Amino acid sequence: MSESVIRMENIVKRYYVGKPNELEILHGISLSVEEGEFLSIVGESGSGKSTLMNIIGVLDRQTEGDYYLEGQDVNSMTDEVRSAVRNRRIGFVFQNFNLLPRANALKNVMVPLMYGEEKVKDQKERAMEMLKMVGMDERAGHRPNELSGGQKQRVAIARAMINDPAIILADEPTGALDSKTGHLVMDLFHRLHEEQGKTIVLITHSQELASETQRIVTLLDGDIVNDKGGAR
Amino acid sequence: MFLENIKEAFASILSNKMRSLLTMLGIIIGVSSVIIITTIGGSIQSTLTATLNSMGGNMISAYVQARYPETDEEWATWTYPDMRDEDYVSQEMIDGLMAAYPDEITGIAAQNYLGSGQIKDDTDADIYANVSINGITPEYLDYMKLKIRKGRNLTSEDNKRKKRVCVVADTMVKNYFGDRNPIGEQISVATEAGVFEFVIVGVYEYNPALFGRVDVTVAEKDRSTEMMIPLQTCFRLQGNDQSGYEYFNLMVAPLADVEKATADVLEYFNEIYARNDKFNIYAYNMASDMGMINTVINVITIAVSGIAAISLIVGGVGVMNIMLVSITERTREIGVRMALGAKRRIIRMQFVIEAIVLCLIGGIIGILIGIGIGALLGQVAGFVIQNMYADYANYIIMDIHPSVTAIGLSLFFSMLTGVFFGYYPANKASKMEVIDALRYE
Repeated sequence: MSESVIRMENIVKRYYVGKPNELEILHGISLSVEEGEFLSIVGESGSGKSTLMNIIGVLDRQTEGDYYLEGQDVNSMTDEVRSAVRNRRIGFVFQNFNLLPRANALKNVMVPLMYGEEKVKDQKERAMEMLKMVGMDERAGHRPNELSGGQKQRVAIARAMINDPAIILADEPTGALDSKTGHLVMDLFHRLHEEQGKTIVLITHSQELASETQRIVTLLDGDIVNDKGGAR
Repeated sequence: MFLENIKEAFASILSNKMRSLLTMLGIIIGVSSVIIITTIGGSIQSTLTATLNSMGGNMISAYVQARYPETDEEWATWTYPDMRDEDYVSQEMIDGLMAAYPDEITGIAAQNYLGSGQIKDDTDADIYANVSINGITPEYLDYMKLKIRKGRNLTSEDNKRKKRVCVVADTMVKNYFGDRNPIGEQISVATEAGVFEFVIVGVYEYNPALFGRVDVTVAEKDRSTEMMIPLQTCFRLQGNDQSGYEYFNLMVAPLADVEKATADVLEYFNEIYARNDKFNIYAYNMASDMGMINTVINVITIAVSGIAAISLIVGGVGVMNIMLVSITERTREIGVRMALGAKRRIIRMQFVIEAIVLCLIGGIIGILIGIGIGALLGQVAGFVIQNMYADYANYIIMDIHPSVTAIGLSLFFSMLTGVFFGYYPANKASKMEVIDALRYE
């Protein structure tokens, strides 16, 4: 069997290590995600789901435990390599979109290409293709402040997809949208999953949203309390 | 990547126009003041150099003069002695001088005064012209760069054959011939030394700057102009066929030190004339005046450059301050860029480039303002100089040009300011933790 996309073993995250106010957020999480899975990590605020997401996204380091992304030990990587991993292997979709305000949609989608090690040919064409996929090609020249929330999130998804990452990591992607546009964004994730077989990790507090996914991992106070639907 | 960074820097600077402009102010003031002062200073320097050179700046003037008595008793009975043949400077002495200092003295530009007088028209008392006749070596005429407007200049052939030919001033021609063509006309000049006849072969453009100050107390029509005849012709007319010099100019090699050459000339002749108790040789040059002006301008330039350096430092601190503000404001953006794979050194480069672009824009604005104001003040300086030397006004051409060196250095130091003061904020940005930056509100 091929290597899991994500394999976490006994991940512990503590803040203020060694200080009187030391705080343990994650108490030893073990989690495996296989290629092509669409799972959601659900939990109330304070459950540690954001911390877990940061570790999965190579934005933060765990205090203890092992994390292998596509078989690579992430913890032993240098800063530069971690940047490259974020750039090539992870597609981020944030709650607040996090588009660059002075760049138009096309430029925003191209940002990850700009930071890539190797020169990618036909960057513009590739970015346009991504925009077309999310139905935003006609808005390529618009800046974020000229786009609606749903449109911004679609641009952000196009940006996440441009380097063909191993996983899409979506942190409350519909949190800032009304339910109608939220559904449109969710439909887009389903399409990416079904048509392209993308591995998608959705972090949310909403049980309703989570119920749309194949597998639901429920987090409570830093422990996984429920993991259902994992078997396909 | 690099190009992207520059574009990004421009976008960021333009998104905060007012703030950027105020930040650049220190750099703009510093750079523009340097450009202004170097433009004016350089223009004055080159104008004076050109003017003084045309007046013999790189020439040594020398002449034979009596040794004046040292005591009052001697003065009472003293009269200027007559010059004997051996008192004149001989061609052998000149040849010896040129042989002794081949790197300094390149030739003699000799001239000998024959006399001054009037050319009259017998039929009309109102038509006349005052001239002063000078024998001159053709090489000297070449060197003086007189503009020949009609006919030709004197040649060494004229000199060798002691021809009775002359070159006259256009102002004299206007007085005497009106619109008639003077070339080939024979004129007769009555002087204190006798009546002489010459054929006009050329007309030169009269330049008072070449002949010293104009006597403005005399009506323009009565002013005496120089009439040039071959030196040897002059000697013959004076009744001596010897070739000794009384007044002469020595041409100095282009790169030689005129001061040192003058001292060498004096030393050379002092030795020869040591046994002559009546006469000695005196020599001087015009380079010393120029040297003083150059020194003053250089001192001012250095002083202003010092002020500009301080201004650049103050401007640089302003840039650093605004970059720190900008980085704090854009913490989230930095976080997003890092999350999307920007390495720390890329973030650092982006902000260093932004600081450099900011400083360079300031530098370029400063240069443009400096060139503009410099040209304007240069005009004013030219106007002042022309008024101070009103008689030579037509011959002082203000050559206003910004200093290329100053522009280059200004750009370089603007860039350096950007690198120096941009590095700290940029480094601070690159040291941010991606997770903190991303969550920054």
